[in-house]
Amino acid sequence: MPAHVPHGLRITVCFFILLLVSSGRAAEQDALRLQSIQADFVQEKHLKILVRPLVSTGTLSFQAPQSLRWEYHTPVASVLLLHGGRAQKFIARDGQLVEDKGMGLDSMRVVLGQISSWLDGRFADSEMFRVSFADDRTVLLTPKQQALAGVISNIELKLADSKGLLDAVTIYEGPESYTRMTFSNRVLNKELPATVFTVQ
Amino acid sequence: MRPYSFFCSVLLLGLVACAAEKQPRLPQLIGVAESLGKNDCAAVYPQGKRQFVHAIDFVMQGGSGTAVVGVTSLNGNNIACALVTVEGLTLFEAVFRHDESFKVKRAVPPFDAPEFATGLIGDIRAIFQPPPGHGNRGQLLLPAPAAGLTAVCRYKDPAGGVVDVLPDVGGCWQIRSYTPDGVLDRTIVGRSCREQGTGLIPDYIELKTYGRTGYTLKMTLIRADNVL
Repeated sequence: MPAHVPHGLRITVCFFILLLVSSGRAAEQDALRLQSIQADFVQEKHLKILVRPLVSTGTLSFQAPQSLRWEYHTPVASVLLLHGGRAQKFIARDGQLVEDKGMGLDSMRVVLGQISSWLDGRFADSEMFRVSFADDRTVLLTPKQQALAGVISNIELKLADSKGLLDAVTIYEGPESYTRMTFSNRVLNKELPATVFTVQ
Repeated sequence: MRPYSFFCSVLLLGLVACAAEKQPRLPQLIGVAESLGKNDCAAVYPQGKRQFVHAIDFVMQGGSGTAVVGVTSLNGNNIACALVTVEGLTLFEAVFRHDESFKVKRAVPPFDAPEFATGLIGDIRAIFQPPPGHGNRGQLLLPAPAAGLTAVCRYKDPAGGVVDVLPDVGGCWQIRSYTPDGVLDRTIVGRSCREQGTGLIPDYIELKTYGRTGYTLKMTLIRADNVL
């Protein structure tokens, strides 16, 4: 990823790539060709100063080759869209979703090609991460680039026992800070209307 | 200019809070309030060890901005805080001590500038900690739409700045800061207050600074916890 890509965007991109890493593994092991994924997620942010974890909930929708809707419902409503080569982020303001142009989303296009690589199962040639397997269901990603390593120490992917889907993603920022996302209600290869990837 | 850098640059400039000529000026106190009404000024500020988590919508003049989650832990004059993106990335984490020193535990560029930490703690202390010294109690005539007399505690800092704490406006509270020249440079408006112990906890806080680089922080309370 180019050095000028903002850090806030980098981690967002990582989330997407993580999903697709799993898809790539599925392609290798089970000859599953991913067309679409829909799922719910629960995100727990652990930070030493937090009395208890900060819990967020949301949904994601992905349609091959490059359409994504990553939506948080609580506690802060926001939507990230990738569709038709365009990246947009929306945040809830005064009860309406308004576009957030402050996160350098143009850079998202840069990494879409890399995401496509993951889709094809070519996760071993990532420019961003060194990939290793702790066991059959645990993938460890370690940043290659110093700039990214300053933000993320490592990432752990827990694969489900079938079809190579993800059960959970844990992103470690340091020994006292990590974000864990668990996925549920996954629906594979269902045709998704284009309206899913727009904000009306 | 990179959008993120632009965001932070404006933020840093905003924290300096330039005063505009057309800003309201420090009003005169009217008489002396024998009673501060339902809420005393002390009730504006949290007591004991507390932690607040807010959804923060940062809005620059012109309407652009972004949203983050803010964590503030209070322990007397010691304050720990963190800013986290909606996606879970920790942008900034620091501990500010009572002696004005601070330790930044994590700061993702461009939030690693010392001026950012200084400006951030200025806003946090303005919201959560009473001004130093003793306030003079009086009354103010509020402008429309909340026209009428209201109680106020007025604090003056050594540099000549003034902070008015209004403990009972529309069932919640307001804080107004003025430059040494008497120009309004920051307002903090609490809304939908809930009584909790001896304090008033707003479900919503809006901090606004004025001038060419003014900004607004719209803070919606996610949760308030006691820290053991």
